[in-house]
Amino acid sequence: MPVTIIVPQLGESVVEGTIGKWLKKVGDPIAKDEPIVEIITDKINIELPAPSAGTLGEIAVQEGIVAQVGDKLGVILAAGESLPAGGGAPAKAPAAAAHAPAVAAAHAAPGAPTAYATAAAMSAATATSAPPSTDGMRVSPAVRKLMKEHGVDIRQIRGSGMGGRVTREDVLTHIEARSVAASAPGAMPAGAPAFATAGAAGPAPAPAPLKSIPSASFAAAGAREEEVRPLTNVRKMIAANMLKSRHSAAHCAVADEVDMSALVDLRGRLKEKVKRDYGVGLTYMPFITKAVVRALKEYPVLNAVMTDTEIRYRKYYNIGVAVHRDQGLIVPVVKDADRKNLLEIAADIEGLSTRARNDKLTLDDIQGGTFTITNAGMFGATASVPVLNHPEVGILGVHLIEERPVVRDHRVVVRWMMTLVLSFDHRLVDGTPAAMFLHRVKGLLEDPESWLLDSI
Amino acid sequence: MNLPTPNREGLDPREIPAYDLGRVPYRAALEFQHRAVETRARGESPDVLYFVEHEPVLTVGRGGHDANLLLSAADYARRGIEVVPVERGGDVTYHGPGQIVGYPIVALESLPGGRDLHRYLRDIEEAILRVLGAYGLDASRRPPYTGVWVGDRKVAAIGVAVRRWVAFHGFALNVNPDLRHFDLIHPCGIRGLGVASLASLLGAAPPREEVVARLARAFSEVWERPVRLPREEPAHV
Repeated sequence: MPVTIIVPQLGESVVEGTIGKWLKKVGDPIAKDEPIVEIITDKINIELPAPSAGTLGEIAVQEGIVAQVGDKLGVILAAGESLPAGGGAPAKAPAAAAHAPAVAAAHAAPGAPTAYATAAAMSAATATSAPPSTDGMRVSPAVRKLMKEHGVDIRQIRGSGMGGRVTREDVLTHIEARSVAASAPGAMPAGAPAFATAGAAGPAPAPAPLKSIPSASFAAAGAREEEVRPLTNVRKMIAANMLKSRHSAAHCAVADEVDMSALVDLRGRLKEKVKRDYGVGLTYMPFITKAVVRALKEYPVLNAVMTDTEIRYRKYYNIGVAVHRDQGLIVPVVKDADRKNLLEIAADIEGLSTRARNDKLTLDDIQGGTFTITNAGMFGATASVPVLNHPEVGILGVHLIEERPVVRDHRVVVRWMMTLVLSFDHRLVDGTPAAMFLHRVKGLLEDPESWLLDSI
Repeated sequence: MNLPTPNREGLDPREIPAYDLGRVPYRAALEFQHRAVETRARGESPDVLYFVEHEPVLTVGRGGHDANLLLSAADYARRGIEVVPVERGGDVTYHGPGQIVGYPIVALESLPGGRDLHRYLRDIEEAILRVLGAYGLDASRRPPYTGVWVGDRKVAAIGVAVRRWVAFHGFALNVNPDLRHFDLIHPCGIRGLGVASLASLLGAAPPREEVVARLARAFSEVWERPVRLPREEPAHV
């Protein structure tokens, strides 16, 4: 019997690992317990011992790919055995591609699991592990059922999931494409005139049979264009972190409206001078950061982090500032924001943003945050509900500052307004302190001169 | 190099002999670890814990990115720093004089956590936390990162490899290294932010022997097995 190599249990909290390096090639003889493949999880690289002796018959998961505990990695054949029919033509992604130096981006997102695949390794693996083998394919039972119901042969589908995995969407797309392809040619020859209406033809003795509605997608049915790109490490890590956050916290949000008029005026007066004297662009972020730190000191639970047994109140204030980049979101951290003045924070944010966009952030730049601020207003959004930056318990969404009509003293007046949204982890933070914290931030932003003096 | 090998006669089978080998070239240490893992896996030697110190060297783990190296290998060589790719997990790490580097060569199943990789990391952190606590430092973990920190500063780095379920590589605790050397891997080592040592945190470095002894004791507690340093230095290192 061929012996399947699977990702073993590697620890209670270990659910997956990245395939590091295959120490054996397909066809290599293997002794029992001999290391055959490296699996990297966090700071550990484990060499998986062979479960049996024989030769390596198949490599099912290529280097650089993340595999879950229990996943099949390959097959060991005993003497004289061959792979079962239809099973595992060895995936042939050249090992050399997977050895390419891993990219720094693997560290781009905080809380990153170790996924160190290079783009080259990813695409090589995706391209080669998708075809024929149904046996080697990783397909969930639900997807398998769906394929069976529709009589779909897995070999006709190109998997778009991790490692060429065929997803439910792939199957649905395939079924849809198949039905369009089957029905389209007969239903409407290409180049048929568009709308021939009964009315235009004048009184007709008998109503013309209803025509099928020409569909825009019909013409493109054969060539519905898709561009397939490998998932970058940055994207994989952002995805993992977002999901981790969603799965591990009780997300809740509260919103408030802030009258930014005083701050708009103050910043307007300061920014030229700051630029001229210090060479730093003064955005609203440093003010908001300062206000947030002040409010965090009054509501320390929002600067805390929790474990199963403890709440850890951090007495330092490292404020993450989400930065958009083409490669994907990243959250560099302004360290010790409570001990920095407005200009230092402005300079920090400017430096971090520039380094983020040039891919020059260090691990240290993105570590150690205690609370995050994210600005969705840069592109005009007036409200959004941010996802917590795990394991932090609060994230403040700031938005477009715009002139809006508001009521003051029974009159409608025009003020510079901004919506603030605080997402918080309701496991640790009750609604009242969350709302009070937000209200405090609002109060500080509405009256900056009352507190900025002692922080300049 | 020849390793002090424990005389197993009369040894408590649960005992983990520990040795402070002092200054050892990195590649020699790597080689002896490989041999020790083999003999441990074959059951020919017990679990052991080696403490060493290295000349300045940058080791690049399996998770390593050349982008985190600021200079070319030649530039590092000119500064007397070797760059060595290694099979442990983790990224680029600096080792140098003033660090206590610990290499536990242990069969995971012989530890209380068994074959649980995360537990193994957490236990190493725990031992180091206890030592730092004994020096009055408020050290902590910073999930999801591995290592031991005081505030934002990393005091101990951890990177482990496992072969045939025997762990090797280990940890590096900054006792009194030249912290400026860490700037050579992180472009933004402004004010040494990000790394600290016992010396920088306490104002003075405690003696190496004392830290080694405390580490051995802490590992005894965490692993629930006696970790014993020899009374005298091994003669043939």
